[in-house]
Amino acid sequence: MKKTRKPGISRRATLALMGAGAVSVAAPWVARAQAKMIKIGMPTILSGRVAQLGTSSRNAVLLEVEKVNAAGGLAGRQIEMVIRDSKGQPQEAARVARELVNTDGCEMLFDGEASSGSFAVHEVARDLGVLCIHTCSEASSLTADPKQHIPNAFRCVRQGIHDSIVGASYAAGIAKAKGLKKWATCSPDYAYGRDTTGEFVLYLKKFAPDVEIISESWPKLFQPDYTEVVTKILQAKPQALYSCLWGGDLTSYIDQANIYAMFSQMEVFAVNMADYTALTVVKNLPKGIHSGDRYIKTFPPTPENAAWGDAYKAKYNEYPTNWSWQNATAVMFLDAAVKKAGSTDGKKVAEALTGLTIKCPFGADGTVTMRAEDRTLVGYAIGWGTTIPQEPYVPDVKAGDWTTIFELEAEWKKSKGYT
Amino acid sequence: MTELQAGQEARPLEVPRIDARPQRYRDVLIALAAFAALALLPMIFGSKSLLDFVIRCSAYGLFATSLNLLVGYTGLISFGHGMFFGLGAYGFGLMMQKTGVPIPVAFVATLVITMVVAGVIGAICVRLKEIYFAFVTLAFQMLIHSTILSWQSLTGGDQGLRGGIPRPPFLGIDLSNHLHLYIMSCALLVIGLLLMRQIAQSPFGYTLRMIRDNATRASFIGIDVWRAKLTIFVLAALFASAGGMIMALFVSGAYPEFAYWTISGEGIFINMLGGVTTFLGPMVGTVLLLILNDTVTRLTEYHGIVLGIVILFFAIGLRKGLMDFVVEWIAQRREKAGG
Repeated sequence: MKKTRKPGISRRATLALMGAGAVSVAAPWVARAQAKMIKIGMPTILSGRVAQLGTSSRNAVLLEVEKVNAAGGLAGRQIEMVIRDSKGQPQEAARVARELVNTDGCEMLFDGEASSGSFAVHEVARDLGVLCIHTCSEASSLTADPKQHIPNAFRCVRQGIHDSIVGASYAAGIAKAKGLKKWATCSPDYAYGRDTTGEFVLYLKKFAPDVEIISESWPKLFQPDYTEVVTKILQAKPQALYSCLWGGDLTSYIDQANIYAMFSQMEVFAVNMADYTALTVVKNLPKGIHSGDRYIKTFPPTPENAAWGDAYKAKYNEYPTNWSWQNATAVMFLDAAVKKAGSTDGKKVAEALTGLTIKCPFGADGTVTMRAEDRTLVGYAIGWGTTIPQEPYVPDVKAGDWTTIFELEAEWKKSKGYT
Repeated sequence: MTELQAGQEARPLEVPRIDARPQRYRDVLIALAAFAALALLPMIFGSKSLLDFVIRCSAYGLFATSLNLLVGYTGLISFGHGMFFGLGAYGFGLMMQKTGVPIPVAFVATLVITMVVAGVIGAICVRLKEIYFAFVTLAFQMLIHSTILSWQSLTGGDQGLRGGIPRPPFLGIDLSNHLHLYIMSCALLVIGLLLMRQIAQSPFGYTLRMIRDNATRASFIGIDVWRAKLTIFVLAALFASAGGMIMALFVSGAYPEFAYWTISGEGIFINMLGGVTTFLGPMVGTVLLLILNDTVTRLTEYHGIVLGIVILFFAIGLRKGLMDFVVEWIAQRREKAGG
């Protein structure tokens, strides 16, 4: 029989040798690349009814991280985001956060959780001592309550109390000008709805003492049918209505209230209207709804903000949300803090972050600050305006005054026993 | 029949009395071995995630196995078992935050509270059968969930118990140390399973099986069906509550989601996955579900689809839990080998 295989090194052996050679040459490179990488973990909500919170947060983070990486990364280390779904369950949020740090080797956390999940991640940060920036939870107590203070956790998010102060002072101005004395409220029946409405009413009465609340409605969160609520409000015949419904609840409510021509019968103040997620979904957006700014690319009216909004739209084919600008700001803060600290060490970065002021497209005066005393975001653009049915939706937003916000916020903290 | 044969038949029947002690010793030995194995785990593997995994297994395992005492052993399909999981978490968390008592005191006090609440709810529910029982338990669960949401001054509403759960050290055990928490959870799991096993294998446990198979017959031979059902309802609630306490310690807080119907749903799913005819079925189901959950959520955000397909596979494909399947398979092999 004729031998087909020639003596000497076979093709397989050659290939194996080449492979081994390549691995041994590449190994130090791979190892160095890994050491240079810095992983940032982010538990957020990517499934279920509020999945948009997670997806629009993720989009914004990735958009900004790309820029930081292109500019050389964090102290020379490229950022790798590890973003994982918590399904909006606090126990999952805690588990995912721990897994990100303990297994995936993330050195920092962005907490893209809402409400209870953010408190769960906060406890993980307390336990593991890892640097954590909350980017979605608007619950004021997360940073106002001194029991929550830990040196390694920050909040880069707007706050319910700030919105209420600005909203009430804006609404009081209109109430006085138009003589709106009889008010109704309609807000979702859970902590956020109750707290925000309570604070709004408190400050509205402070600024315009002759205002009177004649009707209150508390529809359930994610309620599909608002007929009874709408008819109840119409029967009470108020001159103005306040609502902090949000997202799908707000858009369903407006669509259903439109049938009863509610918006021509009273002035409506809906704090969460001016967000593209709501503005673009409502079938017939009524003219003249008063709303706080969530995210709108015309406010603050700067070219930087408009450019950022357009860049986001160009990349993802949808407008950013309120969560988007907050997450983008968190990346900007982190970048600036690492530059200031000259290191990616969590403790040093945390020290640098405390009290840090950075240039930012979403700042009221072009800058935002991570206030030192409670490690929370202040100085962001906050204001109210009225809607029109087409772009730019809220053409003219009246900016809130941060001096008043600080003054009343301090009073509020005292009244809650926080200071 | 010959006279001789008749005489033999007439002799008093010898009832074979099974001595339960050897089996109990065996169970205790298995429990000790399992605990030793779990305790050695951190020495072999340094992974903190593994410890997290086992802690979560303890919490859900106690919960699911206690649910099986109702579903599998007594035939009471409870859709509201999660309320006791939530009650345990909130009771323990609040006790530690508000009163500052030592951990064992808070643990026992939470069990006492659970017992009282389960006693009241159970007294109403166990009178009902099948779907009515299921729905009334679900209704009570939603009542407790709504109470947690609306009693904001006490529970923190939908934001949950904030500020962490204080853990003063006791008897040299410091639960803020992760390893101590791990060992404690394992101990609670093993003790809990052992106790539940004893309940299941006791005459009371067999009474429960009888009630499941034919409640009328049980009542005719003099068993107080209502009392037996209520007893097991309360006992199962206690173990679920212990599971909730482990979870509260793990996340250092308590959240309304712990008392939501989805937790009860997960319990039922775990039982379907692991199987309800064997004692360890729910424990196997717990491990399976958690592994499945953790790996799938790592890979995709469309975990709902994957988990749904798995449920369908077990419900329609296998028509039983994994442990049922394994036990049957072993029995078949034995039969073949024997025959």
